[in-house]
Amino acid sequence: MASSTNVHLSPAELSYLHTSLSLNPPIRPDGRSPTQYRPLSAETGILPGTNGSARICFADGTEAIVGVKAEVEKTRRRWDDDTIFGENQNQEEGEEQDEGEEQGSSDWVELTVEIPGYRDDDSGTVFLGQMLCEALLADGGFVRRLRINRRFHWKVYLDILLISPPLSYPLPLLSLTTHLALLATRLPKLKSEGDEDPFFDDDWAAAPYLYARNPTTKRVTERPPVTLLVMAVGGNVIFDPSKEELAVADVVLAVSVGDDASSREGRMDVDGRSNNSGRNLKLLSIRTVDPPSRLTPPGVANAANSAYGHAQVVSTGANQKMPEARQTESEAVEGVWKPPRGGAKAVVMGALVQKVLVRGGVADEVLDALEGVDTS
Amino acid sequence: MPITILPPKPSHPPPSPHDISDADSELSSDDGGGGAHLDFASLGLPSHQKSTHPPNNPLFTNLVTPGTLITPDHQWMRGHGTYIPPSTTNITSSLAGITTRTNKLISVSPLRARYTPEVGDLVVGRVLEVQAKRWRVDINSIQLASLPLSAINLPGGILRKRTETDELQIRTFFAEGDLVVAEVQQLFQDGGAVLHTRSLKYGKLRNGLFVALSGQGGGSGVVRSRRQVWTMEGQNGGGKMDVILGVNGYVWISKHIEQVAKELEQKHMGITNMEESVSAGVYSSQNDFIDSATMREIARLRNVVTALVENGCRVDEDMVIRGYAEACEMAMLGETGAEDIYLGGQRGEELTRALRN
Repeated sequence: MASSTNVHLSPAELSYLHTSLSLNPPIRPDGRSPTQYRPLSAETGILPGTNGSARICFADGTEAIVGVKAEVEKTRRRWDDDTIFGENQNQEEGEEQDEGEEQGSSDWVELTVEIPGYRDDDSGTVFLGQMLCEALLADGGFVRRLRINRRFHWKVYLDILLISPPLSYPLPLLSLTTHLALLATRLPKLKSEGDEDPFFDDDWAAAPYLYARNPTTKRVTERPPVTLLVMAVGGNVIFDPSKEELAVADVVLAVSVGDDASSREGRMDVDGRSNNSGRNLKLLSIRTVDPPSRLTPPGVANAANSAYGHAQVVSTGANQKMPEARQTESEAVEGVWKPPRGGAKAVVMGALVQKVLVRGGVADEVLDALEGVDTS
Repeated sequence: MPITILPPKPSHPPPSPHDISDADSELSSDDGGGGAHLDFASLGLPSHQKSTHPPNNPLFTNLVTPGTLITPDHQWMRGHGTYIPPSTTNITSSLAGITTRTNKLISVSPLRARYTPEVGDLVVGRVLEVQAKRWRVDINSIQLASLPLSAINLPGGILRKRTETDELQIRTFFAEGDLVVAEVQQLFQDGGAVLHTRSLKYGKLRNGLFVALSGQGGGSGVVRSRRQVWTMEGQNGGGKMDVILGVNGYVWISKHIEQVAKELEQKHMGITNMEESVSAGVYSSQNDFIDSATMREIARLRNVVTALVENGCRVDEDMVIRGYAEACEMAMLGETGAEDIYLGGQRGEELTRALRN
């Protein structure tokens, strides 16, 4: 899927961008370091009618809001599921059975993405939604939280809206906003017990968070996933690329990572300290994003340019017949843009993922920064 | 820290009144007489309109949105950005902007608008369509401008009628996506512009970076000024840089190429053949070699321009040159020295604060 359908950049600009991003260290057009994100402002709880919501703005005016709504739904039973009839006999000894039972289904989450100027069923929009959904559902941890009892569950609707026109590929923005909205999501407190029809406390102040806080430190113990956009150009790895940078990318990857809280708890017991810098990151999903650079027009070298120099406009016959064909498969010339051909190398892909997952790396820092946002 | 997350600001800080009045007087100077800010009290408007905004800020007191009643009094004349609903005498705003009064004429100048072309403006544009005898160029106006095949210089400076061969080879001059610097030659009734590149200064752009600033109005963006194109020295080992501030808000920053002198020297050409030799590279899309120090300084200059716009300053030669000097100084004082060219977020605010003082 093309990450941006029509890139209008001239071959000279593309060549310049490619050269400056391939330098060591790369010079990004907006001056960021390779791992730096654009500064953003975030807030949560902006929509009173939702269970949880968040809004994130970039300085260039790109803005996204996410609302989370939850409703109670009856769990559909599978054809081979006889627990309802068996449950009366098994209730007392049902410990083990509960373990196996605590699974959710992926249709408990409905995620829609809306991007102004694009249709709902536009392939780009659908692909974005699928990527975000995939990360949420990847390890089944999220849907497990939505279970109320054996007969009922929460159905969660995630509405992701980009308010501004997409100035750059909006995946990181939408993912960060979704992350914050889920952190701020609260569900009414359950008063009923066991498998009876759910009955809730109508005091909103008592409502627990979907992602529970540690009662002493007020810190979130487990966190929703985030999806990072990473690209490689030349020998450099660049995070959170802007539109121009994407236009010269060799490889673009969307990497979803989660915080593996269970293993962290275990380690904390051993170490006896809660360390922030070294969280255990869990790779949830990887998607390659088709870089728009492949669709860009190639530049014309001066040697092959009939409008260059003192050459007469009426040129020789061979040139005149197929000027385009001659241009496309020319040798690489310094300073002339040539779109990348062929697939991504496995080594490059490996390096990209490694760079995301390294302890204390970018994913870690992003999760730390998101932790600093007030979600109460 | 690769990511900074800030709490939201209450609202975008308005541009300082000083900047606004500057831009106003320059923009409206050709109408004879600068726009004066409209005083609501003198129009006898209900006072609740004012009380919603901080009364001490002149920008807020004059801010209107589409549909806002400006005055019901029929002694005023309606100007741009206003309308009178049928069977009433109410002058009503049709834009979000600031009301201005010139004698008895009330008009609303928008907070942000697209570029309105005027004959003689220097613009930077991007070719979006190629047609049989002309190009359609995006110049940030409400319509695409057209650049006829007859309004460009042919390579080598040949003067002749454009033939069918030229029409067939139209893409060898400019293709889709190419950036051109041009001048507005003519305007149509509906606001559409016709461009020309019949000068050695104009033509295809290469060796640099492009920045598109948002529309005009509100005191930020490019303002028409004496010089839109200049060459400046790069600091920290960078070479000379060319800056083109298109009046339409498109900016091009590139490495300066001493083409004239070099070519003349090589070919021992006289001043009379200068046009021929200079225009040789006009349709090239091959970049020259650019050293990394110059690339860094070009990126720094681009960041200065974006920081100016993000913080509501006008963009002109003076501001850009001062901003660049300030940015170099800020970088030298920082930890990483000249390598650090980042000017987003709080650094940009610091920069503009230093410029305003």
